[in-house]
Amino acid sequence: MTLTVKEELIKRSPLRILEKSISGGLGKGNIGVLASRKGVGKTACLVHIAADKLLQDKPIIHVSYASRVDHIITWYEDIFKEIAKKPKMKSTLDTFDELIRKRVIMNFKQDGARTEQVLRSLEAMIVHANFRAETVIVDGLDFAQAGPEDLRKFKDFAGRLGLEVWFSASLKKDDPLFDDRGIPFELKGYLDIVDVLISLQLHGDHVHFSLVKDHDRLAPKDLRLKLDPTTLLIAKDVRARAR
Amino acid sequence: MSTDIARMRNIGISAHIDSGKTTLTERILFYCKKIHKIHEVKGKDGVGATMDSMDLERERGITITSATTNVEWADHSINIIDTPGHVDFTIEVERSLRVLDSAILVLCSVGGVQSQTITVDRQLRRYNVPFIAFINKLDRVGANPFKVREQIADKLGHNAVLMQIPIGLESAFRGLVDLVTMKALYFDGPEGEDIRVEAIPAELAAEAAEKREEMLDAVSMHSDDLMEAVLEGRPTEELVRAAVRRGVVTRKLVPVFVGSAYRNKGIQPLLDAVVHYLPNPSEVENRAIDLDREGAERVLTDDASAKTVALAFKLEDGSYGQLTYIRIYQGSLRKGDELVNTRSGQKIKVGRLVRMHADTMAEIQEAGSGDIVALFGVECASGDTFCSPGLNLAMTAIYVPEPVISLAIEPVDKNASDRMAKALNRFTKEDPTFRTHVDPESNETIIQGMGELHLDVYVERMKREYRAEVKTGMPQVAYREAISQKVDFDYTHKKQTGGSGQYARIIGRLEPLGKGTYEFSNEVRGGRIPREFIPSCDKGFKAVMKKGQLIGFPVTGVRVVLTDGQYHPVDSSDIAFQTAAQGAFRQVYAMAKPQILEPIMKVSVEGPTEFAGNVFATISQRRGTIVSSVEDGTFSRVDAEVPLSEMFGYSMVLRSLTQGKAEFTMEFLKYGRVPPHIAELLMEQHLEKKKKESQK
Ligand SMILES: Nc1nc2c(ncn2[C@@H]2O[C@H](COP(=O)(O)OP(=O)(O)O)[C@@H](O)[C@H]2O)c(=O)[nH]1
Repeated sequence: MTLTVKEELIKRSPLRILEKSISGGLGKGNIGVLASRKGVGKTACLVHIAADKLLQDKPIIHVSYASRVDHIITWYEDIFKEIAKKPKMKSTLDTFDELIRKRVIMNFKQDGARTEQVLRSLEAMIVHANFRAETVIVDGLDFAQAGPEDLRKFKDFAGRLGLEVWFSASLKKDDPLFDDRGIPFELKGYLDIVDVLISLQLHGDHVHFSLVKDHDRLAPKDLRLKLDPTTLLIAKDVRARAR
Repeated sequence: MSTDIARMRNIGISAHIDSGKTTLTERILFYCKKIHKIHEVKGKDGVGATMDSMDLERERGITITSATTNVEWADHSINIIDTPGHVDFTIEVERSLRVLDSAILVLCSVGGVQSQTITVDRQLRRYNVPFIAFINKLDRVGANPFKVREQIADKLGHNAVLMQIPIGLESAFRGLVDLVTMKALYFDGPEGEDIRVEAIPAELAAEAAEKREEMLDAVSMHSDDLMEAVLEGRPTEELVRAAVRRGVVTRKLVPVFVGSAYRNKGIQPLLDAVVHYLPNPSEVENRAIDLDREGAERVLTDDASAKTVALAFKLEDGSYGQLTYIRIYQGSLRKGDELVNTRSGQKIKVGRLVRMHADTMAEIQEAGSGDIVALFGVECASGDTFCSPGLNLAMTAIYVPEPVISLAIEPVDKNASDRMAKALNRFTKEDPTFRTHVDPESNETIIQGMGELHLDVYVERMKREYRAEVKTGMPQVAYREAISQKVDFDYTHKKQTGGSGQYARIIGRLEPLGKGTYEFSNEVRGGRIPREFIPSCDKGFKAVMKKGQLIGFPVTGVRVVLTDGQYHPVDSSDIAFQTAAQGAFRQVYAMAKPQILEPIMKVSVEGPTEFAGNVFATISQRRGTIVSSVEDGTFSRVDAEVPLSEMFGYSMVLRSLTQGKAEFTMEFLKYGRVPPHIAELLMEQHLEKKKKESQK
């Protein structure tokens, strides 16, 4: 019973739209980046992506550079509650406990953590502790501080262990943030390492997603997705369809 | 003479192990002139700190009991309630938290916020206990009180504010600057007893001014008067103190003090802070449960003339005979008073009343609301409430978790056997999470508790305090059985043996219960089962659920719904319906898809980052789930959920894997389902055991 509801949830997830737009998904060994100004909703999106994997019984590792982990845990709880609200998902709590067993949060202090060390710990988790995640999300890495070499290390690592890795990137410079092809000026130096680049922009009270880079293609495209302002879930953008 | 309530403090001192809690307590006692020589912890002089009165504690260097010690400072009477540090002794921690009004959180200036600091902080939060922080060991290499303050803010989420800054650090640590008075303090004399007040050293002036500004910024949030005064550039000491106090009492501010207990620096100002900033008992609201009104809550008053309400929170067998520590929540206690134990209904007469100091006691005539004293020769259990006749209240029930581990013990000879019985009787009275029973099948004495260490400590105490030598078996996890599916039953119990027969038929269903252990619901209509036999059914179900059919452990999480039945005017009886209930349960249990549950522990491992990978591996080898790992430079913490059955001997494994550099804490979290392959194994073992027993 629960299973079919779960399958239903997976099938109807707006993340399927995202996958379709990026040639079936990010793909192993690849790096995806969600870029926006602070506070637009990158963490919400990453958690939604992670939650979607968990629903599919796929383990994920959530790497965070925030100072505390308890709010991340709450975030997952909230997002599952929201997801479960849609169709009736039976015994939500039990399911939540089950799902959450497939998630590990790894928290690193920004100034204390060098990328080598982060990767070493990730490898220990995946290989030594046999936690066979295929998706890693990395929230809060300071791109300006880390530099393209560090992102390259992540990419090599992803390739070696067959991972897909989603990052959030906070854009901090003054306007304009994007060039005429929608590429954030701050991320130009990283472009050849990044396989999928999506920007989030606030239009009025809606957050819109546009696909800036899709694997080998560099062509800005509206993803017809938005971030629902109350649930903080990624949702279909109905207005976009009407347009 | 009883003390004025405004001049009373009931404080606990909480800390991660080895932060210096014992040393600090010792120093506090010394400065309050109650003891005359400072002893080192794990005593070089073989005496040990005064608070750790038990041999065993001295040997292990941990504090297990929660003795209360009274000291005087600046015309205030301070009761120090010793809170046990180790998480295994949860009930003792919870009980002492119930009794104290505020706390000092001790942190090591090198280790900072550690796993138990987090546990203790959570407990303080749960009981809404205001506290101040003391960063100890400023003389140690690597001391960094500024970083520790930041951790209190970041990791624990408190509005932590430095009230002092150190003058020098590590081996150069000499004294402090008090940011309220803006004076430098030095601690002279062989034991730091002479305080020398001087102007702030020039090289620290700028830093002190800056930190004072930060302090005033944070503190003035709690007082408009102070905010105004700050804006006008004239904040007085009184205004600052009043604002800090308000912030502390409402738990919105944590003032941070610094020092070195070992080097006798910073203790007296900390005692001043206790007096200045921590609440007196009348500032804390206490509630009791009205037993005459179905447990409605009642707020107690600190009026000394009101009827008495007191909680017995600790029993101790000392060299003076049996002592009962009690906290008075309302009214007062006088020699000769008559009180009622509201749990047992027993009346007692207050005989000798004493106030306990570290190693002496003073006989007193009376004590008032808010105070903590001890009684002699009172028969009661820990957690009992005493009231004046006519009042029937219980202090809010303390949550008592079910034991998760058991151990068979066997006395080595007859003498030991008698003494063991005496010891067990005492321990179970002291600690409700420690239980004991004789297994009817194996005839073994079983003790149960909250963890390996918990039981170890009692076995040791039996030896030392009662000279009861016992052999112990292997620790056993307290499994549970639970049903996972609804199932109907229709069962008839019929027996005809000559004259009087037995007859009972019951119809209904078993349902899995999400939360809780057992529920009985009667939906029988029209007297199909006579009313007097309904409780018999309830009793029968309860009895049969004590031992499940899978592995012989208690069945929990069952709702029994009785819908119909039949009786016989002559042959039906209490026993017939009890038997029917048991038969019904046994008949359908297997169809309810029973599962085995095991205790899952919340485990937290801390150590240098280089071992994080090893720690991950040990957790996953133990069927554990890693919830999170936190790396902060060279230091890392792993939080995980691991079945208790996999945790035996973990401390040894961890020690050898990390050269003793990592440590872990563990507490009970929940019951979780045992995976099928292990369930199978357990069932096989159970069958084998039963076979052996039947062959005996
Ligand atoms: N360097 C230094 N060592 C201290 C200080 N306070 C306590 N210690 C030492 O730290 C160890 C643990 O102290 P103890 O009081 O037993 O800590 P507890 O486990 O928190 O009660 C002992 O060896 C103490 O001598 C201090 O201020 N400075």
